[in-house]
Amino acid sequence: MPVPIRNILTLARREYLWRARSRTFVITTAILTVVAVGVALAPVLFRYIDVGGPTKIGLAVGDTKPSLDVASTLETMLNATASTGSDTNAQDGGFEILPVTDVAAARRDVTDGRLAGVVVLSRAANGDLAFTGYTKALAFERAPQLVRQAANAIAIQDRLARAGIAPADQARLFAPASFTLEQPDPSVKTNGPSSPESLVNNYSVGFAATIFIFMAIMLYGQWVAMSVAEEKNSRVMELILGAATPFQLLTGKVIGVGAAAFTQYAVMFVPATLAIVFQDRIAGLLLGGSATSNLPAGLTVELLIAFGILFVLGFALYAVLYAGAASLVSRQEDINQIVAPLTLLSTAGYLVAAYAGSGLIDPSSTLVFVLSFVPLTSPYLMLSRLGTGLAGPIDFAIAVALLLLAIPLALWAAARLYRAGVLMYGQKPSIGTLVRTLRTA
Amino acid sequence: MPLVIDSLTKHFGSVAALDGVSFAVGDGQVFGFLGPNGAGKTTTMRILLNILHADSGTATWRGIPSTKLPAETWGYLPEERGLYPRMEVLDQLVHFAALHGVQRRRAAALAREWLERFGIADFAKRRAEELSKGNQQKVQFVAAILHDPAVLLMDEPFAGLDPINVALLKTAFLEMRDRGKTLVFSTHQMEMVEELCEAIAIVDRGRIVVSGPTREVKRSTGRRVVRLGVAGDAGIPWLADLDGVRVTRPGEDYTELDVGADRDPESVLHAALARGEHITRFEIADPSIEQVFIERVGRRPRTEERLAPSPVAVPV
Repeated sequence: MPVPIRNILTLARREYLWRARSRTFVITTAILTVVAVGVALAPVLFRYIDVGGPTKIGLAVGDTKPSLDVASTLETMLNATASTGSDTNAQDGGFEILPVTDVAAARRDVTDGRLAGVVVLSRAANGDLAFTGYTKALAFERAPQLVRQAANAIAIQDRLARAGIAPADQARLFAPASFTLEQPDPSVKTNGPSSPESLVNNYSVGFAATIFIFMAIMLYGQWVAMSVAEEKNSRVMELILGAATPFQLLTGKVIGVGAAAFTQYAVMFVPATLAIVFQDRIAGLLLGGSATSNLPAGLTVELLIAFGILFVLGFALYAVLYAGAASLVSRQEDINQIVAPLTLLSTAGYLVAAYAGSGLIDPSSTLVFVLSFVPLTSPYLMLSRLGTGLAGPIDFAIAVALLLLAIPLALWAAARLYRAGVLMYGQKPSIGTLVRTLRTA
Repeated sequence: MPLVIDSLTKHFGSVAALDGVSFAVGDGQVFGFLGPNGAGKTTTMRILLNILHADSGTATWRGIPSTKLPAETWGYLPEERGLYPRMEVLDQLVHFAALHGVQRRRAAALAREWLERFGIADFAKRRAEELSKGNQQKVQFVAAILHDPAVLLMDEPFAGLDPINVALLKTAFLEMRDRGKTLVFSTHQMEMVEELCEAIAIVDRGRIVVSGPTREVKRSTGRRVVRLGVAGDAGIPWLADLDGVRVTRPGEDYTELDVGADRDPESVLHAALARGEHITRFEIADPSIEQVFIERVGRRPRTEERLAPSPVAVPV
């Protein structure tokens, strides 16, 4: 094996094992995994713990003799509103209407929690249907509101029936209007599905992936920086530099820390992803019956591969720069200060991606377009543009090529900085130091 | 001479750390590299190790420039000792050896042998930070030699060691020499130089002030040391009247004199006999390395600005 590769692998091996074997790493990985699986299963768990099945509402028709089947109408309307209403994240198991005759017993059931509520019908003096709800829920909560809306509709249908309008005509009267949302700018081309729901999905998938890259850079980039400063502080790097070049040292460090980072991410994501993929089965096991799949529609294999590539390259670029910056300081306290400009850049890229994802910045603007190719911001923005279908494979390939060019360049600069910076102790981190250091390297 | 350092210069900004440093070290020699703090010793070693690049000049080992030599050539004990504080001793020894291309299993076996020799085998599985400073230093020495380098570069290897550990390390040094290794070390302990070094170089403010075999360096000043003892306890007051003679150590048993190059040391004996003194002791010797050192570098005023920025302030 050639010496440079041997050195890089030896350094990476130490870096990886040193981290991956540490108790802190094992514990945080375990906690993160539990949290990730928990988040992935949150919708299911939420339903299981919080609702535990459909909301049961008792219905006492009494002697009102309504002109329609109030129980089935109410159930249909409540469930229809719940699943297509403005609240798209409705996690409940729907509503179930149970006809009751003994109002007093039903009210006791509500008090004891066996029923969410009971609705009692009566006839007013003018012949209209009157509704009385008994529930522990507050008036402004969702269920009472929905029941109230449904009650209005039922009362109207009852009046119409009494006025002699046939049920078939009624259905036509109450048919919902056709309504779709479209992009205001006709030049905005969306490769993917263009329904409002799928656009939201695609934004959020690209954006979620951006969050993971951002987290990795902030967290594990910091590891690289700390590792460099630690070696400088303990003077051990002088021994290492006697055996390996700064270039090898930095490459090994970034690979080692990167491998540890990917281990943590893999341990965390594989179960979480499985949890998402098998969410309906898990939901079926826990809740019974069939539940709809919650797998985001925008999540495609292509996007996942793009995410993987941008994740690795983006992390590598930032990690190299973090390492170079950290070699200028020798105290842990100074690390944050020296890497602040990089952190700021990373955050800026992330925020632009977030704003573009949420529509605060036009995703098709020139700013987003340019930044999606600039190596330090492309990991964030190219992903967003890919997610929304604004960028194609060629854009992606260009961004990747630029990243592949930028990484060796950054390594070279960081190695130079390292060689000069690492042997200077007790210096204040400043631009002046940086310039002086680079000049004398 | 297999190790040749030729006209090395190195500037840090406007500060000249090395200003034409040249010296040569023979095969299998124990070589003392001396000089006051900030004279350029560490910078020279770092250039040999390729940690720093010289502005000009070359350093070669068996004709190959240091920039092209494999890192395995050198065994390095830095002045600022450095180990991973929280890593197990054996683990890091194996790591450093592996960096120099030694197989892990073999490195572990060798490391255990050396730890055993230095009486710290029980610490193999301890974190470095749990060891005393002296023991850390012994670990550091082991780290420098596990890959069997041809040349050992040791920056202040004896600093901070107790006499027992100094003796252990000295034995290890001599064993390395007997194995045919070339040893270059810096120290401020001149008695160590007298004891170990066949040749030395004294560097001051980035320049070599003298170098060569230890005996020649001692004689290079032209001065000799004379120890004269006479009967009676009144001292030898007339010595002060002799030209070119300086009393460096008055004493009960004998008086030590520094005799200048322009004066024959034996003339002191003649003068004593001429004054009718009863001689109890008369000895002509070379000046000690310490005296040479002080003479060569001690008398000039020092300016801090000219000191190289090699490790100065230790961060807290």
